[in-house]
Amino acid sequence: MAERGRGWARAVRGLLLDVSGVLYDSGAGGGVPIAGSAEAVRRIKASGLKLQLCTNETQATREDFARKLWAMGFEVSAAQVTAPAPAACRLLRERGLRPHLLVHDDLVPEFAEINKTNPNCVVLGDAAENFTYANLNEAFRLLIGMEKPVLISLGKGRYYKETDGLKLDVGAYMKALEYACDVQAEVVGKPAKSFFESALAELGVPPEQAIMIGDDIVNDVGGAQQCGMRALQVRTGKYRPSDENHPEVKPDAYVNNLAEAVDIILQEL
Amino acid sequence: MAARRALKAVLVDLNGTLHVEDSAVPGAQEALKKLRSAPVTVRFVTNTTKESKRDLLERLTGLGFDIAEHEIFTSLTAARNLLEQQQVRPLLLVDDKALPDFTGIGTDNPNAVVVGLAPEHFHYEMMNRAFRLILDGAPLIAIHKARYFKKKDGLCLGPGPFVTGLEYATDTKATVVGKPEKTFFLEALRGTDCAPEEAVMIGDDCRDDVGGAQQAGMRGILVRTGKYRPADEDKINPAPYLTCENFPEAVEHILKQML
Repeated sequence: MAERGRGWARAVRGLLLDVSGVLYDSGAGGGVPIAGSAEAVRRIKASGLKLQLCTNETQATREDFARKLWAMGFEVSAAQVTAPAPAACRLLRERGLRPHLLVHDDLVPEFAEINKTNPNCVVLGDAAENFTYANLNEAFRLLIGMEKPVLISLGKGRYYKETDGLKLDVGAYMKALEYACDVQAEVVGKPAKSFFESALAELGVPPEQAIMIGDDIVNDVGGAQQCGMRALQVRTGKYRPSDENHPEVKPDAYVNNLAEAVDIILQEL
Repeated sequence: MAARRALKAVLVDLNGTLHVEDSAVPGAQEALKKLRSAPVTVRFVTNTTKESKRDLLERLTGLGFDIAEHEIFTSLTAARNLLEQQQVRPLLLVDDKALPDFTGIGTDNPNAVVVGLAPEHFHYEMMNRAFRLILDGAPLIAIHKARYFKKKDGLCLGPGPFVTGLEYATDTKATVVGKPEKTFFLEALRGTDCAPEEAVMIGDDCRDDVGGAQQAGMRGILVRTGKYRPADEDKINPAPYLTCENFPEAVEHILKQML
């Protein structure tokens, strides 16, 4: 598809990058880097542009996640990762909420300092194999028994890509519990505006000078644009051809992958 | 209002109407015999996700009702009919006890998904299988969308939440085949050569039985047995065509006033 000119690539001081589907595809054995992405990250760092990863990753702590990315050739630190769990912890503390966690086992350490006794809310993450009927039923019974049910969902994605195919994301299970309990979840993570704003704050660049690059047209691209950023849709990860005709979201550009986006941006610097 | 058309079919709910749990409603067996003397087709209809027609037949004949298997129409039958019409092969997320109602339907290389109440199938791996099929265009058929149900040890998630999750993930809408969906009632009449305007539904659930049937163009008779609670008849609009004590009274009314 022809690009609509390169105006979108000018006056940029920082990039927000989605991770899964942009840097690598997750899967058994840790995942597979997407061709050209590790080199693209190196070029961004060498160019003087600021870089922050803006991810809904909830299957690992930020430290473990950064370590895993480093091992795959992506030279990023934990401080360069903006992820939902820390934001959720801030929210829980602010509002005196004690969570019942239905999350991936590897995310639990992020909540180590949070009081979880006598829970008065449910926190839902990308729990994968932990999305058993029994676990969902347990969360449901807690919620339906609360006088004021509070359901916090770390993201609301519909699905994501792993090396062995597309998989249901936390959003599907959020909707399941919303329907069961007749309650509305609060979303912490993309596409919530406050989440993008905290990523921008960590990036240290105002929205007009930032570009978000992601594979999820609604949660990455649409969400970022609503904060005043430009946003690019990559054709890797969970991208599907129907994304080229999304009824609501018009990315500032479609690019084949992160490497192509960085080529263009660096040429316009 | 259009002139009343002659009555040609009578749909009868099971649990709560013909019998209540393991006891027949007093006089119901005789009432059914009388009904059969009239020139009407009779069908026995129920929402179920885990009782095959064979199981239902056994219970009813055990209670002294003279019923043939082909006269029973359940939400499982509705699902099966839809599969046959669309000529698709389902991934069946249903209770094992429901499988007999799907014999003869090919399930190899599925290109459709049927969801009933089946906790043993609602784990991540199976949900992903269903999700991928639907995302690739397979129709999603829901036996019903109950949010939860009551068991001895507490409330339990029904199929509704899982269907909703799949709908969201795939950006599609399920076809729900059980009561009170219009499809259910229209399908129940398939093969009877009767139009909805020529049929009446007798049931104890004002919304699901009577409301649903009337939305489909039939007349509805609400009986005060089973799950009926006082003033239920005020909860639907239009109100039931008739509210009466029980199935035998409903049959009396039909024989005297509707033929």
